[in-house]
Amino acid sequence: MSLLGDTYTLFTREMLIFKKNIRVSVVRSLIFPIVFILLLGSFGSSPKNVPVALVNYDGSIASLNFINALQLGNNINVASYTTQQQAMSLLAQGSVAAVIVIPPGFNSDPGSTPTVYVYLDNSQPQSASVVSSVVSKVASEGINNGPTSPVSDPSPGSISVVSDYAYGAGSNYESFVVGGIIIMVAAFGSMFGSGFTVLSDRELGNLKAFLTAPINKYSVLLSKIAYGTVQSAFSAYTALVIGLLIGATIAAGLVGFLELLWVIFLVGLGFGSLSVALASRTKQLQTYALVAQTVTMPMSFLAGAFVPVTLLPGFLQPLATFNPLTYAVNATRDIMIKGSLPLSILISTTIILIAFTCVMVAIAALFFKNTSEQL
Amino acid sequence: MSEYAIQIENLVKKFGDLTAVNNVSLNIKSGEIFGLLGPNGAGKSTTINMILGLLTPTSGRVLVDGVNMQQHPEKARQEIGIVTQETVVEPELTAAQNLMIFGKLYHIPASELKKSVDFALDLADLNSFKDAYAGTFSGGMKRRLETAKALMHTPKVLLLDEPTTGLDIQNRTKIWGLLRKINKEQNVTILMTTQYLEEADQLANRIGIIDHGRLIALGTPAELRQKIGMSTLIEASADKDDLPKVAQAFKKAGLEPQVPSNKVVAPNTGKAVDKLEKLMRLLSESKVVVHNISMHEPTIDDVFLKLTGSEVRDQTGEDTSRTRVLMGRR
Ligand SMILES: Nc1ncnc2c1ncn2[C@@H]1O[C@H](COP(=O)(O)OP(=O)(O)OP(=O)(O)O)[C@@H](O)[C@H]1O
Ligand SMILES: [Mg+2]
Repeated sequence: MSLLGDTYTLFTREMLIFKKNIRVSVVRSLIFPIVFILLLGSFGSSPKNVPVALVNYDGSIASLNFINALQLGNNINVASYTTQQQAMSLLAQGSVAAVIVIPPGFNSDPGSTPTVYVYLDNSQPQSASVVSSVVSKVASEGINNGPTSPVSDPSPGSISVVSDYAYGAGSNYESFVVGGIIIMVAAFGSMFGSGFTVLSDRELGNLKAFLTAPINKYSVLLSKIAYGTVQSAFSAYTALVIGLLIGATIAAGLVGFLELLWVIFLVGLGFGSLSVALASRTKQLQTYALVAQTVTMPMSFLAGAFVPVTLLPGFLQPLATFNPLTYAVNATRDIMIKGSLPLSILISTTIILIAFTCVMVAIAALFFKNTSEQL
Repeated sequence: MSEYAIQIENLVKKFGDLTAVNNVSLNIKSGEIFGLLGPNGAGKSTTINMILGLLTPTSGRVLVDGVNMQQHPEKARQEIGIVTQETVVEPELTAAQNLMIFGKLYHIPASELKKSVDFALDLADLNSFKDAYAGTFSGGMKRRLETAKALMHTPKVLLLDEPTTGLDIQNRTKIWGLLRKINKEQNVTILMTTQYLEEADQLANRIGIIDHGRLIALGTPAELRQKIGMSTLIEASADKDDLPKVAQAFKKAGLEPQVPSNKVVAPNTGKAVDKLEKLMRLLSESKVVVHNISMHEPTIDDVFLKLTGSEVRDQTGEDTSRTRVLMGRR
């Protein structure tokens, strides 16, 4: 019979086992993304009382009103310092997320635009984004000189804010994190779906039984990749749904949703193949688990799954170019944050991930060729 | 079907410096039950794995039903049923599902699949456990399921690597019955390895004895006994420390003793009763405590002992002799 026929038989076997353990699979698929979202996505649940050091060199009523307005809603917790040097050293220590400086003459010259300076700690993007949005919101309300009735006498114009952000203040951090997490979950899902069953089948002797059956041995390999892809899609789609429930949004709408499903599928396929390649050369489950993590974690990081690639140390950035996950993550960002994935990028991402899959299948086949000698 | 179900020609397998199978040639006739007997590490599994095409021979070749396993593995395997040394059933699937998947992998047509599954369940005597997960089965049930699974596609040749090692007597008897039945009713050629002498003796039409990778004897059980030219044997067991004294008494009685692990054995020559009487007297004079003394027909164990100088059961592998030397020094 054909390679595909035998692959299908072995795949139905995997699915029978999958179905038997469906409850475990569901729980695992829920726990996996939830843990990641809790670990990483807690960034996204806009933190309260973000500590901020404030230096007021002005002291006018307008500056005091500005400070009061910042503290409304308890999103940030302002502590005042007399010198910028003091405040900046706290920022360096990481004990505050930002320093806000109100320069002298903040409101002395009605002709010029009042300015505040904000120094953000980019290593805490979640807090930094809260500070940014609070400051820019208050700044957009403009100068307020009235001590008693601020609303009745608003001055026209707004305060200009000089700051640098990790990424645009308008972006929703949940979407940013979830976009990265679903790709990582897809990669991990395959690593733990395909490769693990290769190893457990080797341990149980099933692999030997398959390899002595009158079938093409590569059907074993293909069925494992197919199963890993299903497992990966199952986990990553669950992660996506959970992500949407906690507030992530898909700027590109329904089309974007479908595009996400496609990108996840491609990542699952590629990593399923990588996983089988690794598993063909590993004997022990523990070794495999270690290798799988050592490969997947850094690849996710280098792809900018959690921190934008631009914030990575310079020497790492070229690596991102050769990382297929970078393209998958970029696609999710385009879909979830920017609002549309240009067709050309959808096509190039697809080609890159399929090419990655092909290379990995070839390597896996090479590694798998002599696997019966090492049973 | 060709005259020979399996032809093994000058088969060699080396693992680095170790020659696990050393120039073995063997023809197994269609319809026979052949027992490959040998201690741990003798090279039984390595031989089987080469027949299966799992291991590539260092040199030599294997034909299964006239088909070269190395060149046409898929074709050759279609005619083989396999029971590996490790029990292989998928614990997460039911007995019926286990059978069904393998039925498909052996390309049983969909229309006959159900019938084949039922046939195998019957054979394994597992009808009432059809829908139970194999993970809940006892070792013997798994082994039966596996053996039946190997027969589902009506192969011409059945290969079994130590099918009954570790099983209780009931399950062992069931598997023996199953093997006899399919050999007789379906003329399936059986090649099985075993460490159990009784098993080879009872089941096999012919026996090959393998030790350190070499085939050291080949023939029917009766032929093998004849070959070593022994009528009866005298055997005495005693504490390890007393064995040299016992052996000494054997020699004085005019016997040629061999001392495997825990006993002294010698082929009886001449008038049996005379020798035995003399031996008994010498033993009682030397005041050594003998637990047991007996005279019996030679078993395959004795054949093995005669051929290799050690017993099948007390070998633990390649390094046994060295281990013994070390233990002796202690
Ligand atoms: N893959 C391998 N690599 C290196 N040495 C091996 C390998 N497989 C087997 N051997 C060695 O080859 C020799 C024969 O092993 P084999 O498994 O064929 O013995 P066996 O007769 O089946 O023994 P047992 O009764 O324990 O199953 C042993 O010394 C074993 O250690
Ligand atoms: Mg063995």
